[in-house]
Amino acid sequence: MVLTVALIIGTILFGIGLYGALSQTNLVMIMMGVELMLGAVMVNLVAFWRYLHPESYSIQMFVLVVMTVMALEAAVGFAIGTQRFRTKGSIESEESADMKG
Amino acid sequence: MMELQITLLMVIGLIAIWFGWRVFRTNSMVRSAFSLLASMVAIGGMFLVMEAEFLGVLQIMMMGTEMSIMAIFMMMYMMDPGGLGQMDMTHQEKPSIVAAVVTGGLALGVILLTNWGDIVPAAPAPAQQNHDLGMEVMQRSMMIFESAGTSILTAMVAALATALIIHNNNQKEH
Repeated sequence: MVLTVALIIGTILFGIGLYGALSQTNLVMIMMGVELMLGAVMVNLVAFWRYLHPESYSIQMFVLVVMTVMALEAAVGFAIGTQRFRTKGSIESEESADMKG
Repeated sequence: MMELQITLLMVIGLIAIWFGWRVFRTNSMVRSAFSLLASMVAIGGMFLVMEAEFLGVLQIMMMGTEMSIMAIFMMMYMMDPGGLGQMDMTHQEKPSIVAAVVTGGLALGVILLTNWGDIVPAAPAPAQQNHDLGMEVMQRSMMIFESAGTSILTAMVAALATALIIHNNNQKEH
């Protein structure tokens, strides 16, 4: 029961994050959606650790790695945003058709 | 004890969901960044409820700084930071809603249909957890921990190399 509650909260947060990452036009808002999804992943991991395997610390290690990924994603994303804003004057994804491969 | 945990998880989880939803529903960028901060702090609160004290405090501290930086970048780069122009900041909204609902529904089905087994009633004490996590980091997961450190360094170099303007002094201007 308690595990189900935690997992459902994680699912809803993941859904909101997915909606945001797909629907927003601004790079920073897309990154916010990705951060929400990663936060939902961490909720799931901690719930699995606490309620199924409190003796296994590799799950906590995994949470630490996901936190690192969140910080790195923000750093590299802002760097791309800075360069994009400097050269094009905007970080809207609608105006980035020239980045299409 | 479990009932208290369920109640607290529900309350704090609803706070996290509410603020996570507000991130994409407000026009003001500062509000949006601070809603995400509140959502992340609520997630840290959920960690504390689930007795992962170290991770909870770490989450709150990291997200506090990260989202404040994000708020500054939002104001720098947004077309309409105050949201006064009522610009539409979304595209492909219907497919996004469908994708989010389908993914959430699938995950919900997995959650409800899986037999998760017995719930462990008690977690180790915080001091014991820190000790064991330290042992994990320094023994079995050491390579993972070190690769995380190396990827931080790589990302720092990559971020600087992407964002900086590098002047090549050797090249003569024509």
